[in-house]
Amino acid sequence: MAGLAATFGSGAMTNSIQELEDAEVFFVIGSNTTEQHPVIAARIIEAVRKKNAKLIVADPRDIRLAKLATLHLSHKMGSDVALLNGLMHIILNEGWEDEEYIKARTENFEQLRDVVAQYTPEKVSEITGVDKDSLRKAADIYANAKRSMILYAMGITQHVAGTDNVKSCANLAMLTGHVGFPSTGVNPLRGQNNVQGACDMGALPNVFSGYQPVTDQKAIGIFEKEWGVTDLNGKVGLTLTEMIDAIDKGDIKALYVMGENPLVSDPDSRHVARAFKKLDFLVVQDIFLTETARLAHVVLPAASFAEKVGTFTNTERRVQLSRKAIAPLEGTLPDWKIICEISSRAGYSMNYDSPIDILDEINRVTPSYGGIMYSRLIDSWGLSWPCPDEDHPGTTFLHKDKFVRGLGSFNVSEYIPPAEPPNEEYPFTLITGRVGFQFHTGTMTRKSSVLEREAPKAVLEMNPNDARQLRIRDGSIVAVESRRGELHLPVLITPDIPESMVFSTFHYSENNINELTINAIDPVAKIPEFSCAVSIRRT
Amino acid sequence: MKRLKKDNVLSFLKEMNKKENVFCPQSVEGRDLILMPLGDGVYSGDIGKTTVSAKAILFPQTEEITSFKGETISKIFDSSKILLFGVRPCEMKAIQFTDRFMTRDDFIDPNYLARREKLTTIVVACHEPPSDTCFCVDAGGMPYLENGYDVQLFDAGDFYIAITDSENGEEIVENKYFEPGAEKDKNALEEIKKRAISQKTNPGMKKAIEILKEDKLNEAFWEGLAERCTNCGGCVYVCPTCTCFNVYDLPFQGGYIRCRSWDACTHAGFTRETSGHNPRPTQGSRLARRHEHKLKYDIINFNESGCVGCGRCSDACPVGLGAIEIIGQINEQGEKNTYH
Repeated sequence: MAGLAATFGSGAMTNSIQELEDAEVFFVIGSNTTEQHPVIAARIIEAVRKKNAKLIVADPRDIRLAKLATLHLSHKMGSDVALLNGLMHIILNEGWEDEEYIKARTENFEQLRDVVAQYTPEKVSEITGVDKDSLRKAADIYANAKRSMILYAMGITQHVAGTDNVKSCANLAMLTGHVGFPSTGVNPLRGQNNVQGACDMGALPNVFSGYQPVTDQKAIGIFEKEWGVTDLNGKVGLTLTEMIDAIDKGDIKALYVMGENPLVSDPDSRHVARAFKKLDFLVVQDIFLTETARLAHVVLPAASFAEKVGTFTNTERRVQLSRKAIAPLEGTLPDWKIICEISSRAGYSMNYDSPIDILDEINRVTPSYGGIMYSRLIDSWGLSWPCPDEDHPGTTFLHKDKFVRGLGSFNVSEYIPPAEPPNEEYPFTLITGRVGFQFHTGTMTRKSSVLEREAPKAVLEMNPNDARQLRIRDGSIVAVESRRGELHLPVLITPDIPESMVFSTFHYSENNINELTINAIDPVAKIPEFSCAVSIRRT
Repeated sequence: MKRLKKDNVLSFLKEMNKKENVFCPQSVEGRDLILMPLGDGVYSGDIGKTTVSAKAILFPQTEEITSFKGETISKIFDSSKILLFGVRPCEMKAIQFTDRFMTRDDFIDPNYLARREKLTTIVVACHEPPSDTCFCVDAGGMPYLENGYDVQLFDAGDFYIAITDSENGEEIVENKYFEPGAEKDKNALEEIKKRAISQKTNPGMKKAIEILKEDKLNEAFWEGLAERCTNCGGCVYVCPTCTCFNVYDLPFQGGYIRCRSWDACTHAGFTRETSGHNPRPTQGSRLARRHEHKLKYDIINFNESGCVGCGRCSDACPVGLGAIEIIGQINEQGEKNTYH
């Protein structure tokens, strides 16, 4: 999000999902779309099948979408900046850039030109492992179509260079004039149904709702007036990864976790567990008793989505109404009610009668949500922000005619290697992800019999050549060891993963792959890298 | 032969609902048409084609089948009487198909049968295809039924012409809302039938059946199609003849309830064995299994295709792998393949 905010002025999908149908080129990088965003993948697949759209997939693994791709670039883990700079180098060399667009709508182009000049195909091919021909082909396909779309997900953001990776995607799009038009843009796919909404509402350490900085006097004024207080301190808080370190150091004594299971989902989870045990007071609010909740001093049972009214904001910035289908189970409350009760007991009385009241407040204090009123969400498929007033129809694609920040800013990055490259002792690169049948730490999906049957346990995917060399059979148990821990996992031999790389999922607390992963973080967004070096031996 | 004024349908259903549970096509806020208990949505008079077939009534998405606590085991049956209004002929054919399947070789499914015995059906024949994906005629059926229903209604403008095929049906048309028919209704009915069979969608099922019978397709064909399958299971869930299920136990009040839920043969775990071995190891092999089952083995076993041509899988599939598209691909490939 930080990457797109710096370059475009807004960190969200520039286009709507519907627009995928008319894209001519998809450049999918760091997204296992078929498994993680199947609805979006289906649109891509149909555009390829029915309209002959071209599909470039950049992913180390031969993921399902890659099998349908015009071109699959299997680049090395963490080499995204080099790959993207390399494509821009070729585009500039060939004169495929959009000169007019660069002049009219962007700034800092010279800086970009100077840096990408060093990313020759030879050098990039060496860093990424992608051959020069494929690089040229990808640059050609992407640059020389009218409606090209970049789609990405955690595969490029969860890196020490996560922000750089995103900025480089934005650079590529601006260089070729591929943003600000229908079916043309840069589209981060959000990994949860309402993570866009949570960010929009200021569930971040540095902003109020609608990305109004907590340090901004004008914003502080708006919220002090709305909430009837006078002492909002204007200080930026900590991110999740920073909090865990602060707990470990003893700087944080109490923690309130809502709908998260960091004990399983965060990297280096033994470190997380050690830190959490130091807390004087831990509160967990969730719909099930998660691994994190088991450590809590107080557990607050929350109502599920089906038991409450509210809105979700999906990946295309669309705010949709979610209704109550059944009454909350005995002893549970909707999250908003729990928060209000606690706030009131803590001395600040929150007197909302319903989620509609809360949405009214959101309308008043959040310019981009100004016209997203409850009455307009009934009987509709929702509204996409920005939607500043009640007559505004919502916005399907962003940055039309001009970027949110004015001129698009080329924010050029240099390639930096992964935090923990493989070496003799730990010769494999472990990457982690999800499968389509499980969601995150499985707190919900593992309770569904068919979903659990489809993906019942963690496996370690390994290339057949590596397996042969280590004399490992399909299904046999191996010890996987990183600098932080060791796990025993069954092997799934598959040519879909390149040599020297292994893959596993983080759904399973009984075999928690995050005991091995690394919490090296991106300096801007503070997002952890996860991927790390491991050794593998037979057991 | 009787008449039922369209304006009277809702009153008739409301009256019937006092005695039994009436289900009919309704929608909530103009969204998907679904067979729901009367009053759960709005009945607009549109029979259309419901997103999920009548299967969901006889064989619910999830149902409790047994409960056990300590030494006691109790079977759970739903014994309420159901009147199903607005079943389409293709769905009724699917129910007839399922009746045979659920009682074959003396393996009787008691839960299905308990519901089926309490079910009365009012079929509404299709005077025109309710959607572009309808291909019942190509699939060997008709947009009306010759037999096997309780009441069948034919759309004659402001009213339906009603005919019956059971004692249950006879009893229903005795209801005050059914009026005596006119002499000309017989001719009108024949006219409606004639008009009804003109269908635009004809994927060529008979030819596809021949190709499958002759084993003309190889693995590569199915794997090629499977590359775009997202494995959502939607085709199976909406299919009126797919009745595979998964059984599991849920803890409840100190005991357990055994439930069953719809399952899909397109999922890997459906055929995976305890050892980890899977006789249908790839998505292509599972796709092949599903379509060969319907268009080859059902014909061998029951002399009837397992696909009734309702087209729901083609409506539901997000990547164009419904029966219409698959049949089209089978025919295209069958023509290309010269080997046997």
